[in-house]
Amino acid sequence: MNKRQRSTRCLGAAVSIALLAVSACSSAGSQNLAQPSGPLTIGMSLPLTGPVADVSRSGYQGYKLWASQVNAEGGLLGRQVKLVVLDDGFDPNQTAADYTRLISQDRVNLLLGTFSSLLNAPASAIAARQQMLYVEPSGGSASLFTRGFTNLFFAQPGTTTSLPDQFVKWITSLPASQRPATAAYVTQDDPSASPAIAVFQARFAALGIKTVYSQTYDPSTTNFDTIAAAVARAQPQLLIQGAVADDGAQFVRSLEKLRFSPKILFQTNAPSDDTYPAAIGAQNTQGLFAAEAWSAKAAYRGNASFVAAYTKMFGVAPTEDAANSYTAGQVLAAAVKAIGRIDQKALAAWLHTHAVNTIVGPLRWNSAGDPEGSLLLAQWQDGRLQIVAPQSAATTTTVVNPKPGWAG
Amino acid sequence: MTELGQALVFGVLAGSVYGLMATGLTLTFGVMKIVNMAQGALLIFSAYLCYTLWARFGIDPLLGGFIVTVPLAVLGVVLYKLVIQRVQRIDQGLTIVATFALALIAEAAIALAWGPNPAAATPRYFNQAFRIGSLTVPRAQFYTCLLAVGVTLALQAILKRTWLGHAITAAAENPEGARLVGVEPARVGAWIFAIATASTAFGGAAISFLYQFTPDSQDVWIGLTLSVIVLGGLGSVPGAFAAGLLLGVAEAITSTYISVRWAAAVPTLPILVALLIRPQGLLARATRQDTGT
Amino acid sequence: MTSNLVRRAVITLALAALAGIPLVSDDLYYQSVLMLTFMLAIGASGWNIMGGYAGYISLGNSAFIGLGAYTTGILAAKQGVSPFVGCLAGGLVAGLAAAFLSLVTRRTRGVYFVIVTFAALELLGVAATTWSGVTGGSQGLALPLPTWSMAYQNWPFYYPLLGLLVLTVAVSAAVRRGKLGLGLFAIADDEDKASGLGLRTAVYKMNAFVLAGTFTGIAGGIYAYYVAFLNVAAVFDIVTSMLIVLAALLGGRGTVWGPVLGAFIIEPLANLTSTSLGGADAGAIRLLLFGGLLGAVVLFLPRGVLPTVTGYCRRRQAPRRVPTRPAPAGAAGAAVPAHGPRQDGDPHGDVADDVLEACGLVKAFGGLRAVDGADLAVAAGRVTGLIGPNGSGKTTLFNLIDGTVRATSGQVVLAGQRIGRLGRPARAHAGLARTYQLPRLFGSLTVVENIVIPERRLSFARLWRHRVTAAERARAIAMLAELGLAPYADTSPAELSFGQRKLVELAQVRWLDPVVVLLDEPAAGISPALAERLADTIRSLAQRGTGVLLVEHDLPFLARLCQRVYVMANGKIIASGTAAQVSADRAVVDAYLGDEVALASAEPAP
Repeated sequence: MNKRQRSTRCLGAAVSIALLAVSACSSAGSQNLAQPSGPLTIGMSLPLTGPVADVSRSGYQGYKLWASQVNAEGGLLGRQVKLVVLDDGFDPNQTAADYTRLISQDRVNLLLGTFSSLLNAPASAIAARQQMLYVEPSGGSASLFTRGFTNLFFAQPGTTTSLPDQFVKWITSLPASQRPATAAYVTQDDPSASPAIAVFQARFAALGIKTVYSQTYDPSTTNFDTIAAAVARAQPQLLIQGAVADDGAQFVRSLEKLRFSPKILFQTNAPSDDTYPAAIGAQNTQGLFAAEAWSAKAAYRGNASFVAAYTKMFGVAPTEDAANSYTAGQVLAAAVKAIGRIDQKALAAWLHTHAVNTIVGPLRWNSAGDPEGSLLLAQWQDGRLQIVAPQSAATTTTVVNPKPGWAG
Repeated sequence: MTELGQALVFGVLAGSVYGLMATGLTLTFGVMKIVNMAQGALLIFSAYLCYTLWARFGIDPLLGGFIVTVPLAVLGVVLYKLVIQRVQRIDQGLTIVATFALALIAEAAIALAWGPNPAAATPRYFNQAFRIGSLTVPRAQFYTCLLAVGVTLALQAILKRTWLGHAITAAAENPEGARLVGVEPARVGAWIFAIATASTAFGGAAISFLYQFTPDSQDVWIGLTLSVIVLGGLGSVPGAFAAGLLLGVAEAITSTYISVRWAAAVPTLPILVALLIRPQGLLARATRQDTGT
Repeated sequence: MTSNLVRRAVITLALAALAGIPLVSDDLYYQSVLMLTFMLAIGASGWNIMGGYAGYISLGNSAFIGLGAYTTGILAAKQGVSPFVGCLAGGLVAGLAAAFLSLVTRRTRGVYFVIVTFAALELLGVAATTWSGVTGGSQGLALPLPTWSMAYQNWPFYYPLLGLLVLTVAVSAAVRRGKLGLGLFAIADDEDKASGLGLRTAVYKMNAFVLAGTFTGIAGGIYAYYVAFLNVAAVFDIVTSMLIVLAALLGGRGTVWGPVLGAFIIEPLANLTSTSLGGADAGAIRLLLFGGLLGAVVLFLPRGVLPTVTGYCRRRQAPRRVPTRPAPAGAAGAAVPAHGPRQDGDPHGDVADDVLEACGLVKAFGGLRAVDGADLAVAAGRVTGLIGPNGSGKTTLFNLIDGTVRATSGQVVLAGQRIGRLGRPARAHAGLARTYQLPRLFGSLTVVENIVIPERRLSFARLWRHRVTAAERARAIAMLAELGLAPYADTSPAELSFGQRKLVELAQVRWLDPVVVLLDEPAAGISPALAERLADTIRSLAQRGTGVLLVEHDLPFLARLCQRVYVMANGKIIASGTAAQVSADRAVVDAYLGDEVALASAEPAP
């Protein structure tokens, strides 16, 4: 009896130790590529699977285009750039684990950020702890930049706090008789939307525009009829929605069903999506406002060739996510080229004190990594998304106001 | 006044759909005391099937629901024979865990087959509404309300008036006795699962054009359907319908008068309240508890 | 014993290895995988106390992680409290939530309980998101970054988690080998029977739940500091709950090391699959893998790896001794000589001696009055019989007396004390015990454990003593010897015959040293020899001063034992007196006995 129990215990111990060893070996198998003469490795963890898989693909392609262009021109510091990509399935725990692995196991030379504030939050914290530079392409929640990280930089002209800037400017520029008197605010409870809506509400209230309805809805909401009915009853002249993805289209469809069309309608995120016109009806896009980080037609340096190269490489026109990634790569490359070596602290210090020219224009940051620009104001006009402000990027001088009613 | 009226209209319409989605769950619990945690996954699966029928062949989702009952019924029987029967024999308490595992597998299979992108069928009426006085009645929801009522009545008729229905009830209450009169509980179990999953097809059809869905939408729907059956009496089909209406109206009223944010809690809160106060549900008959084995 | 020594050596070795890893390797990733494994093991061990020992399956245990994490995070971010102190507060909050959850189980059990845990997890998530002023809501909550130098890397996380795991396993082991564990296993087998034997099941369950919640909560707090950013969806997460359940089930529910083993299999597997699987379908494949694993464990390996392996090894040993049949009745076993009733035909109803009185008991189920104004009295030291046709309300009357069912009206008085408002454990503490027509014993316990489990008094210190102390064992073995069942002392009740189980149930009742005993058809379905032994035991009970109320259809058996008999029909007592008196009563003959039977003609046993 003793022998059997002993052998069982030993077997059990051996198995558990073996399992530990296996998992150790499996991860230790990756090679250490950080020799000065080998490729320059850049690590990232992207949500290639999971709820945002379709959106992240173009973001990933943006990175790939950037890397191939850099390599075509001789690489960075004379070394070919190699992207080391892990998939986190949009799970922030996994993102944290992935970046830890990239830094400590794969020992990548540089990092590039992932998409959405949800994932970038833990990732940037890990990068900060390990004192590595972290440039993130998207995920503009202002709370990311209040933690005192000096290694963090946002590769867009503005965060959610500055999202409202251009639109508020335009409303303010309207003569008092044309300004809306009442406004309704509807937003999803999401870091990429609700902070911006809060800023809108505060600034418009300061302008004297009365808030007649203001509600936040749960991310899982799919039926907007009740909210739309409440909005319709409140009869706002200005309607602002903090949409994140398809909730934008769903909400507009509810408004159409209830036959309520505000004079001015602004939505975050949703209107930039190419499935948007089909989702709400192509004629119904006329006059809708949105905020963009990037426009394909903006005349910033390198933008047109970016669009052409991307379309050539992947067969489709680039989306804003692709542009954001490309921009992040540009920022990183600019710093590395300027410093001439891989020194995380020096790279960060340089970025804090210099502007970088990118396809979204010149970017410069404050000490928290918060960019000092503002996002573009876009509007759907005659079936095309045009940029109406700021002037440096504007593609049209006309602004549709008021928005026409819904077409049958 | 119209504010309340409109909220009630939306609530009743949405609630009837909630009741429709929970009928399958009600049946399996009421008759077999099995909580099928895979109900949400089955709903989404039917939704994807209806969506594919609509996208590929242009078949209206309402009609598609009828077509989809067939594969769903077959799936129900397969699940029963392969999994449920087995686990019931091994350890009854783990049945709920087994169905939970099924839900995860189903979600993965759906994601592999259809991809993670959101889907929604958009037949012509999805954007239209009737106007009755100052009230707006969305057409799509109205049709599903009719469907829900129809399915509920049909199921009640089957349970109460057909031989099969009586056999099902008998086998549930007294398996040994049922065997003595020629009703084999195992075969009946297969029938129950077939009917339950077939009725889920209609719920899925409703989802396919009323809401947008992804493979992981099943989390949302399982919570909601559990709430419906807990409120309405785990086992009572009309009870589930009434509970669905109650939930829908509560959700609409909360959204309109309290806060949209808290409306999200409405589907789950009743579970806690009901199970703490009256576990057998609001509309179930009280049964003698002390003669159990 | 050498096997114990080997076990201790292996455990020490493994611990040393785990403790030494951060010192010899600076691989942060490897450490982080181990830390996550520790967390899962703590969660699974905690779950095991609730779901493995007490049988309450919960799908919501990640809520404890969430509560611990957020408490710690809020204290750290808003009050500047060090997370290493804050995590204790996190454990406290999680423990309180667990205590509340255990209160829920008063009414909600089985599958309803599982649903409640699922719903509670969802609702906590919604509450955390909505209460955004405190928790940061959907924006998330950022904790201050650790302040120690990079030279120490993750040690301040790693070692506390490892230590916490050791503590959790030690506590789990102490629970399992103590009376708390004994009670929990009994609750898992048959909760109502356990409370009828005097176990304050509510207290046992609360202890179990609080232990489960507290350790998991503390782990959640440490995790929050490690991750430095909290998001509601990530922490109040159903998948984490599922992994906890999977780890415990896979390793072996109800064992001490099973959940730890399960965690050490699952977590590295999870990490392996997430890092080595690529492509657009990776997430779906992982879900398929874990869902499939969970289903496979439930269907094919329901006991888990550890019990299956040890069971297999045990079967390979020498075949177990089958206990030989016990000595027949009358041989060296019986310590008390059998004899007939003490008085013949003495119609006494001494109020002074009555230990149990039922006055005007009524129980109505809707329109049906199962018990319709029953009055009876049981005298100390006497055996009282209760007879009547099936459906006359005898079992319901028993249920009213022992508290299984609440009376619509009327009262029950036990040794002068009104017990109508007392719960079942309290009635047992007052001295009331009962057996069942189909004997109910605890299948997970041995026969000796079954006998020693009843308790007259709850004391917290007692919960941590060994399951069966030496003194208790001696007393129990002596009882079993009297019944001729001594060879079966350490077997499972499943190996006993029906009659033997009845005897053991009776021994359970005797262990309580009760004031009143209710026996429900004790002689039904057993051989005459065994019935005789049973009768002896009943007489000896009465001799000790216990009042016995006996329901029987075996009239000769009843007549030999009882000094007084009540007859019940249609919920009412229609006659009472000695056996001879009631058998002559016309009403009794009409209702039950029939003309053919004459109790008076039954001879007293030699």
